[in-house]
Formats: sequence, structure tokens, C-alpha cells
Amino acid sequence: FSSIFARLTGSKILSEQDLKPVLSAMKDHLMKKNVAKDIADRVCEGVGETLKGKKISGFRGIKKEVQDALATTLTRILTPKTSTDLLLSIRHKLDSAAASTSSAGRVPYSITFVGVNGVGKSTNLSKVCFWLVQNGLRVLIAACDTFRSGAVEQLRVHVRNLSMLSSKDGAATMVELYERGYGKDAAGIARDAITYAKDNGYDVVLIDTAGRMQDNEPLMRALAKLVSTNNPDKIVFVGEALVGNEAVDQLTKFDRSLKDFSTVAGGPGKGRGIDGMLVTKWDTVDDKVGAALSMTYVTGQPILFVGCGQTYTDLRQLKVDNVVKALLSD
Amino acid sequence: MVLADLGRKLNAALAQLNAAPIVDEKVLDAMLKEICAALLESDVNVKLVASLRQKVKAKAKAALESDANKSKEANRRQIVQKVVFDELVDLVDPGVEPYKPKKGQSNVIMAVGLQGNGKTTTCTKLAVYYQKRGFKSCIVCADTFRAGAFDQTRQSATKAKIAYFGSYTETDPVSIAAQGVAKFKKERFDVIIVDTSGRHKQESELFEEMVQIGEAVQPNMTILVLDASIGQAAEAQSRAFKESADFGAIIVTKMDGHAKGGGAISAVAATKTPIIFLGVGEHLADLDRFAPQPFISKLLGMGDVQGLMEH
Ligand SMILES: Nc1nc2c(ncn2[C@@H]2O[C@H](COP(=O)(O)OP(=O)(O)OP(=O)(O)O)[C@@H](O)[C@H]2O)c(=O)[nH]1
Ligand SMILES: Nc1nc2c(ncn2[C@@H]2O[C@H](COP(=O)(O)OP(=O)(O)OP(=O)(O)O)[C@@H](O)[C@H]2O)c(=O)[nH]1
Ligand SMILES: [Mg+2]
Ligand SMILES: [Mg+2]
Repeated sequence: FSSIFARLTGSKILSEQDLKPVLSAMKDHLMKKNVAKDIADRVCEGVGETLKGKKISGFRGIKKEVQDALATTLTRILTPKTSTDLLLSIRHKLDSAAASTSSAGRVPYSITFVGVNGVGKSTNLSKVCFWLVQNGLRVLIAACDTFRSGAVEQLRVHVRNLSMLSSKDGAATMVELYERGYGKDAAGIARDAITYAKDNGYDVVLIDTAGRMQDNEPLMRALAKLVSTNNPDKIVFVGEALVGNEAVDQLTKFDRSLKDFSTVAGGPGKGRGIDGMLVTKWDTVDDKVGAALSMTYVTGQPILFVGCGQTYTDLRQLKVDNVVKALLSD
Repeated sequence: MVLADLGRKLNAALAQLNAAPIVDEKVLDAMLKEICAALLESDVNVKLVASLRQKVKAKAKAALESDANKSKEANRRQIVQKVVFDELVDLVDPGVEPYKPKKGQSNVIMAVGLQGNGKTTTCTKLAVYYQKRGFKSCIVCADTFRAGAFDQTRQSATKAKIAYFGSYTETDPVSIAAQGVAKFKKERFDVIIVDTSGRHKQESELFEEMVQIGEAVQPNMTILVLDASIGQAAEAQSRAFKESADFGAIIVTKMDGHAKGGGAISAVAATKTPIIFLGVGEHLADLDRFAPQPFISKLLGMGDVQGLMEH
């Protein structure tokens, strides 16, 4: 990255002309870190705006100024604008339900995991489940991928493992699977699962959905129906750190299709879009962590979790400083 | 695919060339800028794009200079167009012939790749593809790691009426792979496809396991299955897979979506290995044969890039 600055020396007021080569090198640098081209363009444009007309002296000064400006911009984009404290949000809902005297009973907190094929929805749903159980919450997993071969059995294995990890003698079941096999309507299964969870005192329902391409309209409509029917408390988009420019298209279209199609479908969850992201396969990209930037830039929504491996404990909170450092590193 | 999509953009970029009164360095730069932008948007490796830009520029300049004032402008344009096109063709065509399964003998094919990239799905698609063409085909599930992996193979192979082998209890993938391949060889299957767990270069133990499976089954062809949406990690991962598994072919999956597959093309360039199929959906028949040469010919025949072939 330092080589960018070799061209800038002396003391002066930064002009557009001075900045052009610097910004262009910065853009290439970000793209090498797997930031989508369009996002790299816009980020560098923004950094250029903040630098233009600044008075700078000396080589070190310039280098530091540019690097600081980029770091500030990256930090701003990556820093969550809404709360990422899922436990707080869950406890809030459960407590306020307990406080109310309505006879309707306590409705569990529900989270739907959505995304394109093979990104890690089911695996990371299981990691989130493990984490919730560790925090003393009782979780029902709803097997709403009724399409892909082995999808139900995959969750069954996870639930079996998680039950063993969390079982205490005589205590209530902490994890259970709600499944209705293959070929059924996912929205209906999710609805029944939530009812079952409510009747059986589960705190949280985690809804697994089938992977789908963002351009596949029938499948996107089906997902929107699941959302509009069930109005989950959180809709989490699962995307992988490996994804390149597609990050932009995936998120834009998932968000827009969910909003548009759920509005058409009507129901309690009409107009809902993506509430947050879970970025998986973080352990496979070294310092090429640009997808995280692309995703947050596009949605303005927070990264709730980072998946960094294939075991239940491989779930982290995003460390913005570390991501910025990785993006700036040579 | 990136090149097909590029056809349109290329045409626009080359139109610039046609609109310019003379083909000089400035015109060349402007055209290259557009072509490179299109490649970068399609996830082609950033360094690869930079080197393509330099090569085209050097070659085009040399060609134009050696031609100094001897040709009409129209010819000069064609010179530049040809240089551009040759470089693009080089990207997707490593000039290597992939292994072709032969009837009447056992052909062992092993699928490797990153997690979730579509290996298991593609194994069934491949078995169906070869079965349809008269090869007695089967699948060995050597993924003992992923939850529900054997169920996935069992269900999709059953749906496709393909023979399969695997185990719910055996935990050693090397042993399963060896058993399965031995069994199917004895039963005189023509195409034996070995599915393996997803893995990545950062975990050396996983790569070691892949090497051991390879040693146990001695594949005639190892295939790297690669997701079309992969970005800049494609090069390093595919290189690492090449070094450990020495795959001889690439299958790019999920091409039915919006992704252009530029990461996969970078893997072709990095490993000098040809793409043989494209995965174009989740269903069993969603597999398209891919060969660089016909693809390029088709591309050349496209209305969009017709200009390249005329005269
Ligand atoms: N290295 C690594 N692998 C992961 C991570 N998360 C998931 N995986 C792997 O990615 C593969 C796909 O994961 P799944 O959970 O089945 O993905 P999915 O999105 O549910 O897939 P579909 O339901 O088929 O769309 C599995 O092999 C997982 O073990 C992660 O954080 N790191
Ligand atoms: N749309 C689309 N989806 C595909 C294609 N190929 C595979 N998939 C989907 O991608 C997801 C992952 O596929 P798998 O075959 O399980 O991937 P894998 O590489 O075996 O995964 P691991 O064994 O966990 O590493 C599934 O949802 C498949 O249905 C394709 O060509 N197009
Ligand atoms: Mg799944
Ligand atoms: Mg698999």
C-alpha cells in the first residue's frame, strides 16, 4: 500500500490532479482485498472528497493523511448503526411478553436465515443455536428447507449433537427439531413451528430456509411469503466472505425482493427486508475481507456474526478495527 | 459467463475504436479502461487484469508501430481488435485437453473443492450425464464430516437412479473411498465418482486428508468444483488445490444466477486447467458441457462481437 504514496511528496494543497493516481491505486488495493468494484469506486470517491483542498506537508504527512482518511471511511461504513446485541433483543421481547397479562401467551423470538445456495445458512444457524443454548435459551429449529437433498437430516444431526452438548439430567430439552419432511410449503412449516414453540415454551425459533439465487423470482416469492406470513423478529442474510462482486447484487435483490413480494403477499410481515448479515467462511480468505465492506455498504445493516470455521464455537462478533486493519494491510 | 457478457461491453469498447478518427494511444487506453472495468466487475483477478492490460497495450502498440502508415485505419482497428481478442481467449483456454472417460474400463473421478461450492450436487449430475451416455456410473460418498452428507448423496442418487456407496458409521473418509472404489471396480462400473468434503487451503490437515484419499483411489481425473460467485480468493485457493490434488479439470457451478464466473476464469489462468462443465441449476439435468474452443467460436459468432470476425 505504501507504494501509492511514493508519488506524493512535498508540502502543498491537495488538488484533484494530485489525488487521481493515489485514489486509483487505492481502488486497486481495495479490489485486491475483494471489495466489489462498484463499492471500491464509491469509497475512493468519498475519500477523495474529504482530502481535496487539504493542506498537507511532507511525505509522511501525506501518507498519514490519506491512510487516516481511508481508515475513517472504512470504519464508518463497517460500524453498525443499529444494535447487534441479539441476546438483549431476545430478552427484551421475552420479558415484555412475560410482563403483559394478555392471555395470548408468550410468543417466541424468531430468526430466519436466508441466502444463496451453499453459503453456510444451516451450519451457522446451528452455531447460533449453540450460542443461544449456552446462554440458557431453549431453541426450536424449524426445517424449512424442504427442497435440497439431505437438508432435513443435516439439521437432525446438528440437533442431536447440540442436545448432547447441552443435556443436563432431568432438565427440559434445550434444543429440538421441527420438521415436516420434503416437498412441503416452507411458510406453513415455519408458522406451525412457531405455534409449536409457543405451546411448548421455547424461547427462540431458528428458521432454516433453502438456498436460492437472487434472480429466481418464484423462489424469492416463496421466501417473501414465509416472511410475510410469519413476520420473524430478525431476517438474517447469510453471505460468504468468498463472494466477490456478487455480494452487491445478492444483497440488493434479496432485500428488494423480500420487501416488494412480501408487500404484495400481505400479512403481518409485509414490507420486511434484511435486518442484518452473517458473514461465513471468514477462515478461507486470509486478509481478503472486502466482502464484509461490500455487504455493509450496500445494506447499511450490521454484520451480526462472523462464521470462521466448521465447528459450533466458530462464531464471532465482527471486530471493526481488525477488518479495517486487514483492508489497509499490504 | 464473463466472456459472453463481455461481448456486449467489448463491442461498445470497440465501437469507440471505430468512432475514433485515428487509432492512437489515447483511443487504445480508453478502450482498455472499459474492457478492464468489465473484467473487474466480473471478479477476474485484479493482477490478472492489470497484466492483460499491459500485454494488450504492448502488443497493440508494437503491431501499430510496425505497421506505421502502411495500412488504412480500418486495418489498424482490426489489428487492435485481434490483439484484444487473443488475450481474452487465452484467459479461458489453457490449451489442455481434459481426460475423457473410456468405456469398458473403470474411470475414477474425484471431486474436490471449497465448502458448499456444489461438489455433492455436481457428482450426481455427472453420474447422470455419463449414465445417459452409456457409462455404468456410480457415486462414492467420502464425506464423513458434513452433517447429513451421506443422506444428501443417498437421496439425490436414489432420485437419479444411480448406484451409491457410503456409511453412517465409518468416520475415516480414506477407508470409505478405498472400499467404495474397490467394490464398484469389482462390479465393473465404468465411471466411479468420489465425492469429498469441502475444504480450504488454510487448514493443512484437510488438504492432507484430500491427498490421502487421492492416493487411496488413484483418480483418472480430479475435478475442482468452483462456485461462480467467488471473488479474489479464487486464485490462491485454486493454486493450493492444484498443488495438493493436481486436478485436471474445473467445473463452475451456480452459473444459473447473476454471477459472471470471473473468479473461476482466474482459476483457469492460475492453474492452466480447462473448464469442462458448467452447473446451471439445482436439478439433476442442470449441467452444461463446456469446452473453451466451441465456446469461443460461439462467442465469435455472436451478433455482439461480429465485428471481430468480419473481413
Ligand atoms: N470454512 C468454513 N466453512 C463453513 C463455514 N460455515 C459453513 N461452512 C461449510 O460450508 C458448507 C455449506 O454449509 P451449509 O450450512 O450446508 O450451507 P447452506 O447455506 O445451508 O447450503 P444450502 O442449504 O444447500 O443452500 C458446509 O461444508 C459447512 O461446513 C465457515 O464459517 N467456515
Ligand atoms: N442454483 C444452483 N445451485 C447449485 C448448483 N450446484 C449446486 N447448487 C446448490 O448449492 C448448494 C451446495 O451444494 P452441495 O452440492 O451441497 O455443495 P458441496 O460442495 O458438496 O458442499 P460441502 O460438501 O458442504 O462442501 C446446494 O443448495 C445445491 O443445491 C448450481 O449449478 N446452481
Ligand atoms: Mg442449508
Ligand atoms: Mg458435499
